[in-house]
Amino acid sequence: MQARFHDGLTARSLPVEVTVEAHRLSFDADGETHVWSLADLQIEDLGDRLRLSHPKVGDGRLTLDAAAWRASGGGAGLKAERRHQKREARLVVGLAVAGLAIAAVVFIGMPAASGPLARATPPNIEERMGRNFEAQLSIAFRPCDPGAGQTALAAFGQRLEAAADTPFDIRVRAVQAPMVNAFALPGGAVMVTDDLIALAKTPDELAAVIAHEAAHVERRHVMQAVWRSLGLGLVLDAVVGGGSGAGQQAVLLAGSVADLRFSRSAESEADVRGQQLLEANGLSSQGMAPFFERIAAKGEGAEAGAVRELMSSHPDSLSRARESAARARPGAPAFTPAEWAAIRMVCQKPKRTLRQILKNPLGD
Amino acid sequence: MSISEDAASTRGERLVFGENLAPGKFVGLSFKNGLLNIVTLTLYRFWAKTEVRRRIWSGVSLNGEAFEYTGRGKELFLGFLLALVLVVLPLLIVVFTAQFLAPQLAFLIILPVYLVLFYLMGFGRFTAFRYLASRTHWRGVRFALTGSPWRYAWSYIGYMLLNVITLGWFAPAAQRRLAAPLWNGLRFGDREFKFDIDRARKVGLYGPFTVFWLGGVVSYFVFMGVAIALAGDMMPKTASEPSLAFIAFVYAAILAWAVVLSVLSAPYQAAILRTLAAGITLEDARFSFKVGWLEMAGLVLTNLALVTFTLGFLTPVMEARTAKFLIRRLRSEGEVDLAAARQAERGPRMGEGLADAFGMATV
Ligand SMILES: [Zn+2]
Repeated sequence: MQARFHDGLTARSLPVEVTVEAHRLSFDADGETHVWSLADLQIEDLGDRLRLSHPKVGDGRLTLDAAAWRASGGGAGLKAERRHQKREARLVVGLAVAGLAIAAVVFIGMPAASGPLARATPPNIEERMGRNFEAQLSIAFRPCDPGAGQTALAAFGQRLEAAADTPFDIRVRAVQAPMVNAFALPGGAVMVTDDLIALAKTPDELAAVIAHEAAHVERRHVMQAVWRSLGLGLVLDAVVGGGSGAGQQAVLLAGSVADLRFSRSAESEADVRGQQLLEANGLSSQGMAPFFERIAAKGEGAEAGAVRELMSSHPDSLSRARESAARARPGAPAFTPAEWAAIRMVCQKPKRTLRQILKNPLGD
Repeated sequence: MSISEDAASTRGERLVFGENLAPGKFVGLSFKNGLLNIVTLTLYRFWAKTEVRRRIWSGVSLNGEAFEYTGRGKELFLGFLLALVLVVLPLLIVVFTAQFLAPQLAFLIILPVYLVLFYLMGFGRFTAFRYLASRTHWRGVRFALTGSPWRYAWSYIGYMLLNVITLGWFAPAAQRRLAAPLWNGLRFGDREFKFDIDRARKVGLYGPFTVFWLGGVVSYFVFMGVAIALAGDMMPKTASEPSLAFIAFVYAAILAWAVVLSVLSAPYQAAILRTLAAGITLEDARFSFKVGWLEMAGLVLTNLALVTFTLGFLTPVMEARTAKFLIRRLRSEGEVDLAAARQAERGPRMGEGLADAFGMATV
């Protein structure tokens, strides 16, 4: 059977006559006889032609007519094909196991390691990181102007700090943003949006939310979430490649702390601890339940969008409201009527709508 | 006919490219690759890409002999792991550490990181091309890329900065200058390719580029204007979360803009192909692409539809039909003594790690 032989040393194309015998093929090229065993033959299908190679010759190739090859009883290189399939099956199983292991690291390993890692993080590093976050966040969450309201909030933060077992300054501040939310940054900053302040009906309610965030700071839940998203970023990059930017995004997202989610157990812990911090100051811890009930009601009503941020970062509002009510104790209000009035007015600038933000992201 | 006669008759060959690619036959492979990618959290992608290349290469022929792709999935995987440990991980750590520093300092760190990224992109582009060349065989002889990826990376970073400074207007010139070292360094066995930049310059790029640039800028402002005008009505005035309709609208607008950009860029893309082909020589053989902007626009748009509407699942089909499109329009004149080519050294042991890590590996 006619074939073309490429010896793998030069790009000469030698016409050769191939003979197929029982378990081998043979041909003469340049006065040398080549014998290839059929069992080790690798056959590449090129449509109406085939390309044969043999481990013995390295880069050498034999191309011939597919029909003629079949007629000569040359076989289909089944052994190599079967070997290839087995290898591929092993490969897929191995990769799937690796995938599962990675998933286990993300969903079990990282959450488990993040707590100890957070507690081991030196406070001064967490503080520095927090200040950096604050600078980035001040673009989307513009601090409201200083005044009696901000002073009252800051003073309340200091009372919580005194009761808490924390190396951080708890710095409470009202910020302007088109959402109902409150969040803690690494290093002790606690931000409350103007929309949340507007939603709170009593000093108790606002105090409960702030105390809850202070508890997140004390228990270093924030740092824990930062470690978790760093781990996620590393793993994402490791799996899908840095080109997607997914890993870097996740790492940078650790910087937009408003998006950090705490685990359910961290939320319950912060609920309980927040109430303790209030009670240690002789303050009422009854504000949490009515506030969360109102949020849960809104979550199902027409204003669902407005409270969605808070709902998604603080799930199970109703059941938590019930548990919180069971633990709650009466006490003094956190703010005097004068302070409360000032806090209600803390962000009196005209509100920016989303449309304005799109047109002019930096404000001014 | 004796062997020596045959050898004599093949001295000096014209290069005739052919293909028997059937993009439809890549659908099955697409699904297999897609499913295995899901099962393995995309870790299978190196082997998937290898199989697609193997099939495309073997569907393309030169003077009746099909090309062969000899790369292995394992090589790409190892290259990726190496890039991960040596480059991606350190960069992530730097970006993360910057979070701990004062904002001004963070800026000082992030800026060099981006410069390093540019540098690595150039490096990755060169080494990816080198790997591809070394795994491409024809008549049993492999291609090879000589030259320094480090030097290439420096010119890459320089051209990219010039590009930024000139608001993109250096890009057409950069296309040729970046192609030159790749084609000048390319060998088939021991036969040398050359890139004649003066010859390449005979195909103008700035006309089609001007159309693309101006059209791109104008259409950007038109789309932004329309989007803001329409979005104002669709957007809820107080709530923080955009509605589903709004999100769908944003995606539709982006897709529409991508369609407009594809059409606008088609003449430029076609001209790039023509200018690069015009510059390449292999001994006495010259090359040319017969590709017009209308058919180029057709290709780009159908590819866009194929990939977006299947969420990337049919990417192998897209690659096969692109290869088919290109090979059918590739011509050559003049002769080369191909038979005299001697085998090239083996290429790098691992492939494309950096290019893959930065998401720019070709086909
Ligand atoms: Zn919480």
